[in-house]
Amino acid sequence: MEEWAIQTRNLSKVYGDKIALDKLNLNVKSGEILVILGPNGSGKTTFLHLITTVLRPSSGTALVMGYDIVGEPLKVRQVTSISFQDPRGFWRHKPAHILSFHASMYGVSSQERKRIVEKTMKEFELWDSKDTRFMHLSGGQAKRLEVAKLFVYSPKLAIFDEPTTMVDLDGKRMIWDKILELKERGSTVIVATNEVREAEYLADKITIFAGGRDLVTDSIGNLKDTVRGGDIVDLEFVMPIERNAIESIRAIPGTVELSIVEANRIRAMVNRSEEWLPELTEKMHVLGAKVRSIKLTEPSLDDVFLKYTKREEVS
Amino acid sequence: MTKSEIAALLRFDLREAFDSPGWVIYPWLYFGFQFLIYGTIMSRLVVSLDNYFYYYGTGLLILISFNVATWNGRRFVESAHEGRLRYILSLPIRRDELFFEQVLLGVTVSLAHVLPPLVLVLYLSGLYTPAALISSVVVLTFITIGIIGLMISLSFVAFKSFDIYSAIVAALSALLIRFSTMNYPLSSMPGVISGVSLANPVTYGADLFRNAIGLDTSLLINPEVSIAVVIALCIATMFGGMFLISRVVEGVKSS
Repeated sequence: MEEWAIQTRNLSKVYGDKIALDKLNLNVKSGEILVILGPNGSGKTTFLHLITTVLRPSSGTALVMGYDIVGEPLKVRQVTSISFQDPRGFWRHKPAHILSFHASMYGVSSQERKRIVEKTMKEFELWDSKDTRFMHLSGGQAKRLEVAKLFVYSPKLAIFDEPTTMVDLDGKRMIWDKILELKERGSTVIVATNEVREAEYLADKITIFAGGRDLVTDSIGNLKDTVRGGDIVDLEFVMPIERNAIESIRAIPGTVELSIVEANRIRAMVNRSEEWLPELTEKMHVLGAKVRSIKLTEPSLDDVFLKYTKREEVS
Repeated sequence: MTKSEIAALLRFDLREAFDSPGWVIYPWLYFGFQFLIYGTIMSRLVVSLDNYFYYYGTGLLILISFNVATWNGRRFVESAHEGRLRYILSLPIRRDELFFEQVLLGVTVSLAHVLPPLVLVLYLSGLYTPAALISSVVVLTFITIGIIGLMISLSFVAFKSFDIYSAIVAALSALLIRFSTMNYPLSSMPGVISGVSLANPVTYGADLFRNAIGLDTSLLINPEVSIAVVIALCIATMFGGMFLISRVVEGVKSS
């Protein structure tokens, strides 16, 4: 198994004077789920279309499972499978035809196909619509069908572009669990989304795209730690807090901002609360300041997302 | 070539193409009405030719093949705009194989549309022999391949605008059909038009088709010349199409 599922080298796509993807250098480890978060028009879909050879790069290249997208596009297509953002164009086909065709393109035998297609359609709650033409499916059904294509076999690299748009809450959870199953079966998975909850549920790593560039790539925990003062600690003391105690708290490494809410309550914005809190308890013990309650609020992925995308807007 | 993938894609496309019975039967009805009613009237009006009725009927068969070829190119452009092409492009099939599959699709649909009317013409004209049927089908297949290659190649040029493609194809079709021997022999045309028609490969295809059937050969261009032109058209458009699909085609612009 290749260590890297994807390695891009200055991968770019330009349409006229618009840069859709700007010298992307991104590595994705085999066997992990990478979630690409980004606002609309950030280059997520362009990137996915490039690594599936649907689009050609304007410059740069990428290795997908060790195959060059420019030099060995057929080999790339043999190891990848993509679920597109908006399922379209199958008009008169029925769901079973579409899934069976997809399986046949990836070498699933005709005997196996029938069984797998039926199983997949039932899992994705499409069995009742098996005789409905694609053009008559609801938006949610069409989307589930689009995602289901990647479950009629196990692609080495499974790519989902906004897999749960138009899908109801139950359907979202079902799709997320199926994507996690795919990873357990050994597939590397890439999910592009602008839904933070989806990213938190699925991601081993997250990369944030904006303006055709990847701004940062890391695990969720590490990304949250990059939000300066992102951990909010609300402290309530038994007695009104004294000045020396406030100065002592302010001096704890990682304190970004301190505000006195009431005489016995303060709010601290801190970095890495897991290191900050033990130091606080030790100092308050030394000063004899009794703490009644501590409430910790960690930064959300929304905060991370906004932090990076806002910075991009400013720059 | 990955034959099983081409076969699977062809089956998938044919399933959709033949899904609507009306779409298959319509060309037969169109031919029946045009040939039996309009053809009868026209054969009485065109008195300079002894047997214009069958000349007109064979021209109609070429027109049906021509229409299938334009449908094929239009379908390719539509598939890009409707989002189907990007899916096909993501599948493990080479671009030139995709082009080949599209041509096979067009030829198969064309034969389905044309075969029953062709048999009817052969029977009514008393020219039916297995050899005439086979040779006329072979010629029609080559003509269809040549025109499909041309239409799909054009679809790449006008890839990002369905309107441009439609305009180009409408203009080109009008020229290729009107300035050819599809409806009238060269000998009946005014000098300028016959000169232009001689530069049109459809002229050679139409005459070769009539040669294969055994229709009045005195009206037709030398079949050896026609064979050379039709084969050259096929080779040029096939290679041109494969070159363009390998170099030009990609999924539509995405956000």
